[in-house]
Amino acid sequence: MSDSITRRTFLKGSVASAAFMAGLFTPFPFKQLNVSANSSDDPILVVVSLRGGWDALNVVAPISGEDVAYYQKARPTLQIPQKELLPLETRFGVHPALKPLFELYQDQKMAVVHAVGLTYNTRSHFEAVEYMELGTPGEKTIHSGWLSRAWLADAFASEEGIPLVAIPSQPTALQGSNQTISLSSFNDLQLWDGGMIDLQIPVLRQLYAGESNLAQSTNRTLDVLELVKSRVDQEYKPAGGVKYQDDEFSRNLQAVAQLIKMNTNLRYATIDYGGWDTHEDQNYGTEGEMGILLSNLAAGLSSFYRDIEREHARRVTVVVMSEFGRRLAQNESRGTDHGHGGVMLVLGGQVLGGKVYGKWPGLANEQLFERSDLAVTTDYRQVLSEILQKPMQIPNIIQVFPGFQMQGDLGLFA
Amino acid sequence: MDRREFLKTAGVLAAASTLAGCQTDSSTAPMAGNPFPTTVQSGSGGAKPSVTIPTTEQTKPVVNDLATLINNRLTFGVRPSEPLFSSTAGSTDDKILEDFLDRQLNPGSIDDSVFEERLQRAGFETLQKSFKDLAYEHITHNPYKNNDDRHWQWYIKPFYELIRATFLRAIYSRKQLQELLVDFWHNHFNVYGDQDDVSPLMLSYDRDVIREHVFGNFRQFLEAVATHPSMLTYLNNRTNSDAGPNENFARELLELHTMGAENYLGIQDPTSIEKDENGFVRGYIDNDVYEAARCFTGWRMNDDLWEGEEEVDDSLTFLYYQPWHDRYNKFILGLYIPADQSPQKDGRDVLDLLASHPGTATHIARKLCRRFVSDDPPQGLVERVARTFMQEKDSPEQLREVYKTLLLSQEFRESSGGKLKRPLEWAVSTMRALNVEMMQLPEGVYWTTFMMGQPLFGHHQPDGYPDKAEHWINSMSSIYGWNLITGLVENWWSDEEDGNNVRVDLLAQTPVEVSSATQLVDYWLERWQLQNLPAESRTALIQFTAGEAGVDTPLNAEELSEKIPALVTLILISPQFRYRG
Repeated sequence: MSDSITRRTFLKGSVASAAFMAGLFTPFPFKQLNVSANSSDDPILVVVSLRGGWDALNVVAPISGEDVAYYQKARPTLQIPQKELLPLETRFGVHPALKPLFELYQDQKMAVVHAVGLTYNTRSHFEAVEYMELGTPGEKTIHSGWLSRAWLADAFASEEGIPLVAIPSQPTALQGSNQTISLSSFNDLQLWDGGMIDLQIPVLRQLYAGESNLAQSTNRTLDVLELVKSRVDQEYKPAGGVKYQDDEFSRNLQAVAQLIKMNTNLRYATIDYGGWDTHEDQNYGTEGEMGILLSNLAAGLSSFYRDIEREHARRVTVVVMSEFGRRLAQNESRGTDHGHGGVMLVLGGQVLGGKVYGKWPGLANEQLFERSDLAVTTDYRQVLSEILQKPMQIPNIIQVFPGFQMQGDLGLFA
Repeated sequence: MDRREFLKTAGVLAAASTLAGCQTDSSTAPMAGNPFPTTVQSGSGGAKPSVTIPTTEQTKPVVNDLATLINNRLTFGVRPSEPLFSSTAGSTDDKILEDFLDRQLNPGSIDDSVFEERLQRAGFETLQKSFKDLAYEHITHNPYKNNDDRHWQWYIKPFYELIRATFLRAIYSRKQLQELLVDFWHNHFNVYGDQDDVSPLMLSYDRDVIREHVFGNFRQFLEAVATHPSMLTYLNNRTNSDAGPNENFARELLELHTMGAENYLGIQDPTSIEKDENGFVRGYIDNDVYEAARCFTGWRMNDDLWEGEEEVDDSLTFLYYQPWHDRYNKFILGLYIPADQSPQKDGRDVLDLLASHPGTATHIARKLCRRFVSDDPPQGLVERVARTFMQEKDSPEQLREVYKTLLLSQEFRESSGGKLKRPLEWAVSTMRALNVEMMQLPEGVYWTTFMMGQPLFGHHQPDGYPDKAEHWINSMSSIYGWNLITGLVENWWSDEEDGNNVRVDLLAQTPVEVSSATQLVDYWLERWQLQNLPAESRTALIQFTAGEAGVDTPLNAEELSEKIPALVTLILISPQFRYRG
């Protein structure tokens, strides 16, 4: 492991971010798990990625000025009727399926950032996701994801317990981290037992001795299984009478809530939520495919927040993002094609919520990106950087987003 | 299937199987006509594994030889009862590989009657149905009423049978390379199988498109894909019309099916794109996506959905629909397409251009090399494979020639240890290694492969499952990989309510003279060609198997029935088994 960069040496600053750009990043050394029984004040970030490119303009739509006419003209059958939109402020209304989140917005627990996204010009899902999660738009030479680097740069994060969780599998953002545990629900964290499992596990560890990625990941998994063993089959009782909806996304969030409450040092969790690539039959008014996606999103997030609100809200920040927004004009299949600017949601105990952030570029032809899509006026890294700097307490953003200069402060946090 | 329920049931079954363990002939009797081999030699009609198996005294790790590489890389893994090739003494590596490829790249020459018979006995009802019958009987004229449970069961039957037949082929067919290549192209031209209104047609997509063209010509392959209703539905081209083009198919055609993201230049001015000496543009830009979308307007299907289209019927077949076609001129990839060309000509011109573009050749070559050689294949090999792709572009045997260049290369031979199994390969190779007895795959096994991360025909995004190890090194794969192996060796899916069972009889596969811990470990390692297991791992396995007994002390029947499944589980989850040679 002589060439490897450990988190400690990284924190001492002996490694320039140029080394990362050159792809010298190698995985972390494996650490034995230990979990303190004490409740912790350490911050937690949950990143929800809506895969496929969500139609930001039908999530947060204009409700005043000339933009209303542009929006309606471009979307004769796909527009959300004005009277259905829940007003966030004078300019924008939110899709009614997000009502539970609208309530969190009214409680000032959720902020909206509009016209935000990747500053690089691409309408390819795969490229957009990769650039976004590597954190270096236009550059693919870096070999680690932005969350891996945030974790590396995070001086306060404990390496013990289950700091990194990916649902259902490790995204590019966590590339380069062998400490990630993937799961889809909490009950996945157990092995079926043919009758001799207690004798088999030590042998399994012997088989996976060594430093390969596969070995590190497998050992990490075994540690975590051991750690949660006594709790995995217990029935989970959410706080405050919350009942999670019975769908995949809510199960995912419930698993995160369970991990938070277990005090196993969760630091970063990612959740992939797919299905947003709505080229066809996107919505019928507020109903249809998009309505279902949004209503599940809102149900999951609000249950999660209410579940952890009393004990852990100060620690938790949730960011909801997508690789791009969609075209202003609908297509003939009652859908929308790949676009550019999007919308992000930031939710949590420390967020200065109840406000729409970002500079609104407008929807007139000459205001659109390439005369067809919502423009990007806020780099998505600005939002992530403010989250990292404030609640996550990582001062050195350059290590996470090499080459990115923060543009002032949106003011998402005090 | 609910796992908690399974575990409850499984607990009972586990107890039952422990109780039954003393009996040598338990309820897991093999199905008629296909007894499990009682020893390693007797199962395969005389053909012996071609690899040199060291005796138990030679415990030093051996470097994988070519035969092991072929078994693991060009098949779904060792199936001890049925070696796919044999070599006579003195055969050179060249000869072994050439002979193997001669047969496997011309699968018509392979006697697969044992598998064919199994396929017959498995009792599939829909595999032979024509596209027309699938559409008519299972979609548009489903005999059951909407509110009848059988309506959905009948609708989904062809798709479920396709999944089960695919597993059966992967496990038992001797046409192993064909099955791997079919899997490659299913991922390349990915279609999510369980689509709202056309799932039954996936059976035809597999048979009439993927299998039909797997050894053929890429240009023809491309058009078969572009006009199949499974793809037309999946990437929405069935609603792509001049009134408001749907770009989904056009974009993925360029980005995934042909030139690849490596040749995507983003959003640029079309007049600024340079051309090479043969007149091919250096890459594609967003404008090419829009123009391609226009070229494919009107490539739809007979879905009789809209009012006032009297010429459209409900056969669900491909339909070129002139009224939806954008008739004006286009400019794509440096090519001018005049207005009012003959039917389908715009789209065909685009396919012609893409199939002959050097960027496509490189993209396909790189993906094939990644599949069969290493995650980051040598550029020199990629270029040679791409050259064959270009040279043979008009040949009806183009892809067969491409595979030959790839698999006869020195780089392929030197690629031992280069590929981690994806979950599907791990699952299938496990079932091959265990000599499972199965007709129709139990639902629970499919569900477990789903949890491992790779359900067959279950990838939602159009890019197919990723093919680099980093995507598959994760806790879910490991946990559910373990669970799958445990469920199989413990026979937890051997008595399913719907009669779809899988059975494993490990005792019957262990020769009577193999009874001490050392013998058992070495026997199973040799049987699966895992002699490269590190000495420490072997020792740990031997000590585990011996338990309180000595490592050379014969174990009694009860101990054997308890220890062998536990030992076999450990071997099948070992890192060495998780690599494709």
